[in-house]
Amino acid sequence: MNDSPVTKFLVRLAAFSIILIAADYVVGLALKKIYFSQHIGQYSQTTYALDSAKQDILIFGSSRAVRHYSPSIISKVSGLSCYNSGRDGLMIPYAAAVEEVSLKRHIPKMIILDISPRELGIDKAKYERLSILLPYCSQHRELLKYINEVGPFESDKLVSKTYPFNSSVFVLACNSLLVNSSDKDDNGYVPLQNVMTKREADDYAKRMIARAKKTHDKTDIPEDKAIGYFKQFLDDAAKYNIKTLVVISPTILHNPFYLDNQLLERNLIEKITGEYKNVTFLDYSKDPRFNYHPEKFADYFHLNVHGSKEFSEIIAQDVKASI
Amino acid sequence: MLFNSINFVIFYVVVTTLFFVAPHKIRWAILLAASCYFYMAFVPVYILILGFTIVIDYFSGIYIEKESSPRRRKMLLAASLFANLGILMVFKYFNFLNLNFGLLLHKFDYHNPIPYLRILLPIGLSFHTFQAMSYTIEVYRGNQKAERHFGIYSLYVMFYPQLVAGPIERPQNILHQFHEKHNFNFSLMQSGLKLMLWGFFKKLVIADRLSIFVSSVFTNPDIHNGTTIVIAAFFFAIQIYCDFSGYTDIAIGAARTMGFDLMTNFKRPYFATNIQDFWRRWHISLSTWFRDYVYLPLGGSKVGNARRYLNLFIVFLVSGIWHGANYTYIIWGALHGLYCVGYVVLKPYLPSPQNKLAARLVRISGTAVTICLVTFAWIFFRAASVHDAFTLVRNLRSFGEVPFIGDGLNNFAQCVLAIVLLFLLEYKMEYYPERFNFFSSRNIVVRWGSLAFTILWIVVFGVFNGGQFIYFQF
Repeated sequence: MNDSPVTKFLVRLAAFSIILIAADYVVGLALKKIYFSQHIGQYSQTTYALDSAKQDILIFGSSRAVRHYSPSIISKVSGLSCYNSGRDGLMIPYAAAVEEVSLKRHIPKMIILDISPRELGIDKAKYERLSILLPYCSQHRELLKYINEVGPFESDKLVSKTYPFNSSVFVLACNSLLVNSSDKDDNGYVPLQNVMTKREADDYAKRMIARAKKTHDKTDIPEDKAIGYFKQFLDDAAKYNIKTLVVISPTILHNPFYLDNQLLERNLIEKITGEYKNVTFLDYSKDPRFNYHPEKFADYFHLNVHGSKEFSEIIAQDVKASI
Repeated sequence: MLFNSINFVIFYVVVTTLFFVAPHKIRWAILLAASCYFYMAFVPVYILILGFTIVIDYFSGIYIEKESSPRRRKMLLAASLFANLGILMVFKYFNFLNLNFGLLLHKFDYHNPIPYLRILLPIGLSFHTFQAMSYTIEVYRGNQKAERHFGIYSLYVMFYPQLVAGPIERPQNILHQFHEKHNFNFSLMQSGLKLMLWGFFKKLVIADRLSIFVSSVFTNPDIHNGTTIVIAAFFFAIQIYCDFSGYTDIAIGAARTMGFDLMTNFKRPYFATNIQDFWRRWHISLSTWFRDYVYLPLGGSKVGNARRYLNLFIVFLVSGIWHGANYTYIIWGALHGLYCVGYVVLKPYLPSPQNKLAARLVRISGTAVTICLVTFAWIFFRAASVHDAFTLVRNLRSFGEVPFIGDGLNNFAQCVLAIVLLFLLEYKMEYYPERFNFFSSRNIVVRWGSLAFTILWIVVFGVFNGGQFIYFQF
């Protein structure tokens, strides 16, 4: 082996590595500053949910939580302050993570968890998306166990100061540079304005029926890990004896879980919640006030602003009755 | 072991260091041991299949060379090909053929008594089988001397950078390189690492980003409208290119850092002006393999027009079958066969441009038509089943409706940004190869700045979910 080119290479590699580490540090620092100074959008909502939310009622869940529960309406009816900690695209492991961090800081009077049966099914994406918790790991070490669900080396990647902000730059840039880039939230609630047409609803029903033929023989069992997170969520609430509502919010079809062959998961949710004294299970997926009412939906999965306000009134009554 | 994993980074550093530290005479052993480890990181027991083909082809090569009787030479070659194709048949096509046989019997109210094999497809089986076959064919043709060193021959089949997804090498190009001494070469190391970086960029920033949207559409073909499907199909066209060419860049780059020169596999295929041009730029190592070992032996273009068209069609059909035991791949191959035959038939009638502007217009429209045809065929390639593929094609009728953009604008916008970036970079490489070469600029600030910028771009915009390379399954 000729020493000279090797030495030249190693020296340059070392010098370049130093520059790269410095660049990573500077860029990471800048992104961190921008990230934690967000005032609108889901990043600021997550930051608020983890670090500041001290309301009497905390709502957890996915986009169906964010879009379906109006804290203002719930507060008005129940007389209790309320914050919606749900987040688009995130499922039960995320809810468990945010709840764990929140409860270390503040014990609410009530917790509402919006859940879909599919959250207990096999879907790698629900763990991959936990990477959105990366920016918070330096302050909340308990989140590392959730981060490790993303991948075996995920927490090691935190050596990079830039990596925690992976995939968030576009949103950060939009929120920082553009006015009204994100909808302003009402205590975490971001209603959808679209109105679904009857044709879209009929089309969806037709597709789902066609799909049902395919999923009829589905043998996937609910995922143990997801069930574990669901139970952990309920255990944490039970530990502090917090009144908890587990809710399946309205759906456009009155038999969506039958069509998608998710009855197993739906029944499991009912069975598990039945094991906790502090938990009430409410299934609105068959509520005729919403089924086949496209005017109350924005798309196949979400209520629009009118539907969500109507639903929030209903949930507010449930809250009032439970207190 | 996936290239886009931390395990590979550690593996690569250790193997490359050992390669240069070790004396020349044992380097083949280091590379072979590393390649075995690399392969066994997937399903260890399948190394036995590789071992079997290696032993068969190693001895076949020697006996074919020694044998003077043309008939016996042919028989030896046939035996070797039979063994290779037999393995391919058992592991890749048996269950598919058995299923179809069962369906046929069912039509006549008979029960298929042949059981299905409960086996996983060995990673990259079609790649290393084709590479092994090209060795015995070339020895038979007298273009390559039989390799006497069993270790070196094993390395020819198993060389880790190209073991699981090519490029499918020819013995004339790579075998002699394993005998040669490769000293550490600063410029090869630099250029190899830069190529690997570009490969990682294509895989992590573009392919894996697009795959998020593509998967969400193709796994639910029945719920998406035509606009969404057109976007998803176009995204998949870019995804598969960046996934596969990204893999190839990493493979060629990793080999180059050790002084090995692997063949080019892609030449910016989406700048092709017609379908034939596309196939001269896409998966070149496989296209030339089919040209040399299927198309030309069938008579190539030295036959009548009808036979020539049939030959072309057969090659693409076989190429479809090569990709996988599913009718979706067969349809994909058949579509490309039809495209190519159609182009060859129409070519004499296509107008030749009279001036520069007309030439440019013809080139642009040719590129656009080629992209549309190729993208349409990708729908069949990507769909999980023929039923799904036709559902997607049927839903194309609703083109024009508001598209689904996934969960939020963030991922979709990053997809668009990645495609724009790719287009700009490929455009530069296609038309201005000597300009704006920041990675090799003489100015160290520009050179290192652009490298650091690219790495940080990968960290910021990359998808690190360990997504498997699409072509591993073949």
